[in-house]
Amino acid sequence: MRLLKDQQRVASGYFDTTIYLDGIAGTGKTTAAIERVKELIRSGVPADSILIWVPQANLAMPYRRALQRARIDADTNVPTTTIGKLAYEMTDLFWPLISDDEKFNFGDKFGRPNFLSLELVQYYMTKFLGPEIELRDYFNSVHISRNRLYTQIVDNLNKAALVRFEPDKIGDRLKDALGDSVEQSYIYDDAQETASLFRQRCLEHNLLDFSLQVELFVNHLWPLEQVQNYLTRKYRHLIVDNVEEDTPASHDILRDWLPQTDSALLISDTGGGYRRFLGADPINAETLCDQCQVHITLDNHRVMSKELVALHDQLDFSLDPSKTDEPQSDADARDAIAYAPDINYQPQMIAWAAEHIASLVHDQGVPASEIVIMAPYMPDALRFSLQRELDAQQVPHRSHRPSRALREETASRTLLTLARLAHPHWNLPPNKFDVGYALAASINELDLIRARLLADVLYRNGKLAPFTGIKNDALTQRITFDLGMRYQVLFDWLQAYQAQDPLPLDIFFSKLFGEVLSQKGFGFHGQTDAANIAANLIDSAQAFRQTVSEIEPNLDIPTEYVKMVEEGVIANQYLRDWEDDQRDAVLIAPAYTFLLTNQPVDYQFWLNVGSSGWAQRLYQPLTHPYVLSRQWQSGRRWTENEEDEAHRQTLAYMALGLIRRCRKQIYLGFSQYSEQGYEQRGDLLMAIQTMLRRLNRSDAHA
Amino acid sequence: MNHLPEDFIFSQSSLQDYVDCPRRFQLKYLLRQRYPAPEVDDLLEFERRMAQGERFHHLLHQHAVGLPAEVLQKRIDDDEVRRWFDTYLANGLNDVPERRYPEYSLTIPLGAYRLLAKFDLLALSDDKALIIDWKTSRHVPRRDRLQKRLQTIVYRYVLAKGGTALNGGQPIPPEQIEMRYWYADHEGQLVSFAYDAAQFEADEHYLTCLVREIEERERFPLTDDTTRCAYCTYRSLCERGITAGPLDEWELDEPTDLDELDFDFDQIAEIEF
Repeated sequence: MRLLKDQQRVASGYFDTTIYLDGIAGTGKTTAAIERVKELIRSGVPADSILIWVPQANLAMPYRRALQRARIDADTNVPTTTIGKLAYEMTDLFWPLISDDEKFNFGDKFGRPNFLSLELVQYYMTKFLGPEIELRDYFNSVHISRNRLYTQIVDNLNKAALVRFEPDKIGDRLKDALGDSVEQSYIYDDAQETASLFRQRCLEHNLLDFSLQVELFVNHLWPLEQVQNYLTRKYRHLIVDNVEEDTPASHDILRDWLPQTDSALLISDTGGGYRRFLGADPINAETLCDQCQVHITLDNHRVMSKELVALHDQLDFSLDPSKTDEPQSDADARDAIAYAPDINYQPQMIAWAAEHIASLVHDQGVPASEIVIMAPYMPDALRFSLQRELDAQQVPHRSHRPSRALREETASRTLLTLARLAHPHWNLPPNKFDVGYALAASINELDLIRARLLADVLYRNGKLAPFTGIKNDALTQRITFDLGMRYQVLFDWLQAYQAQDPLPLDIFFSKLFGEVLSQKGFGFHGQTDAANIAANLIDSAQAFRQTVSEIEPNLDIPTEYVKMVEEGVIANQYLRDWEDDQRDAVLIAPAYTFLLTNQPVDYQFWLNVGSSGWAQRLYQPLTHPYVLSRQWQSGRRWTENEEDEAHRQTLAYMALGLIRRCRKQIYLGFSQYSEQGYEQRGDLLMAIQTMLRRLNRSDAHA
Repeated sequence: MNHLPEDFIFSQSSLQDYVDCPRRFQLKYLLRQRYPAPEVDDLLEFERRMAQGERFHHLLHQHAVGLPAEVLQKRIDDDEVRRWFDTYLANGLNDVPERRYPEYSLTIPLGAYRLLAKFDLLALSDDKALIIDWKTSRHVPRRDRLQKRLQTIVYRYVLAKGGTALNGGQPIPPEQIEMRYWYADHEGQLVSFAYDAAQFEADEHYLTCLVREIEERERFPLTDDTTRCAYCTYRSLCERGITAGPLDEWELDEPTDLDELDFDFDQIAEIEF
């Protein structure tokens, strides 16, 4: 791609100063930044002295791919980081500088830190807080699941670290702004008590969750000369992309670092800030502009067609009551959208979307990867229905959902059920349905009906019996001898295992996978998805064992792990899941997930346009992204007006952000009734209808 | 037919896998297929050794960035690792130039792709460029086997080809390069390999041909040496056996991919979402 003049200035100039680059999505800021990195390397700057800093790890992928493909003789292996990665690496490396400091009161001052993954944070939340919540009757007026309660306590601790206020001020901040009633004040007091208790227990056991890692790095390691020198001498050139999606903790580090660099490029996406609920602070990011010597704005949009630009401006006008001048466009916004007006129910909307996608892919030759289907939320039922319809239309698809529970995957459930069968001393016998399900998944060609028959006949009192135990010839024939013998191999393996000392659970899974399930004739043989899920489960069980056995060597670790998974623990996420997911396939994702990938596509399908979820924040009774932000003034009250304005802003950011990431057309999927049968008339639908009426009136006047 | 993605990066591990078994290379690096069967029979002992290796490398990194040895020694709770660290303090840095780059990565172009080397320690002076690889394995391999390993070939070649930025803008002459394996469990025994222009050219020819061969491959056949399959996690996929081989006979006995951590460090922030 040819660079425009201002992009060239960014790419090839100012190698000895600091630049603040802004512009809306699609104006080529990242493209210019990638070229700048290449030019720096070509000019003799060592790749390892450049640091690419992004708010979320997957946002560095365009840089990595471009540099791996670059035709440059020199090294192009430029490191990439996030505040979380930096905090982890620096805490791990320089741990001895702080571990015996009395002010932290770590339980083992000379021991190593235990870094907590997402799964382990959930486990320790349950372990440390569950009994206290019961004992002290915390949160007795809050009616949400325990897992969601924990995630909001974690969220509060993370906000304290990322916004940089004392973690013991969480409750006061929330009460000052939101504690209108005694009941609400109690909830915030409980939120404070539980957050403080979790932090205290973590310190006692050298457990470092995300919030503690960030706090240790930003408040205690970064100010040390040795640590700051290490980083500022190692990385002489900074490229900071999507600074508006980053947090005050990152901004504060950068404010110190900028004067010590040879050069820096800070990139801000005007109108961004989609990660506000994760602590992003676009207003704070703007203050870094004053720290930079050069300010460049890119305003030549290179993604949206002129019809989409018209749609963007018209919808912006509809969503912003402060705007009085109707936008003038040289294209018709209505040409940028397509919709089916007479749909009552969700299945019809799904079928409509799938048909249009099939037409785009099969008739018009649109690459499947240039299409995304999204909704404000993507529950399993909607995702499954979409997948089924797309399968019927022979359209390849992929889905990306964070917050997926380990137990939801067939391969995981199968391994867990077989583990229960192999360890009768756990006293956790699986039910007959799960045994049948596991047998069907374990033995190739064994359908669920025959698997249930096997379970009915051979599973008694928590134990499997051998295939030879079937005395009914008709039944033996129905199962078939071949499948029966495969069952027998699995049975024999489980019996032989029980004759030995039990293995750690992850090792049990690995051997079961390698020696039976992945062998020819069994259900995981050559099944790439099942193998990947098994690998994730094994990693998860291993990490659990390694950490938990350090803290409590006498604990019955396998049963603790099984119970944790059964309770719906949300699985760890890995960068490889993003990196591997480059197939030419239609993406099915929640709207925020797509926005945060920051990659434009040709066609977008917005489903459930009538849902109020496009504008509403998640229901989070224990936390609040606006009140726990640096922009919140102490002593202010959060009013209904502010709630309404927050909804309007959320919707505008979301809708306009999506349009800026579309090249050709947006399909609007609307069903009059939601999945639950409620009529849907959310703010996005209202804004679109207002816009269409206005445009139709203009036509009539003309 | 070229199966390689445009942004593919070769490494000593991937090339070694290709040389050992083309099918393994295809599964692991092209299809990125994970297959979590055991690599060896005694997985707990295997894990213990890996963790020791990782701990030792981490200590050396901490020492290299300036943390005092006595501060680190106080924190070692494994007798073997303490012995290795003491050995390192006694002789690991003997004759090692002062300009040191611990945990250093370098990529260079190789054909239409890039070749990556991750050095434990690079140490440079005006007339010497030393590559050190810290080894914690129980066995010291035969010199002729080490010489043939892709690690020895790739590391020296990458530094000669891509070390310019570390050498004031001048390429590092091959004659100045030395590759040193240092064995912690054998009182710091060294196995060193010098380098020269002739070997550099031979390596360039070999690596270029290897990549071209991979590019042009229609099929990725299984290795003929079936003894390797006992230590390969894909053995069931290839129908080459059921159980893993004994740990004591495993050739590598060394963590190979310590830095292949791909955890999403910020994932905790995403729970509610």
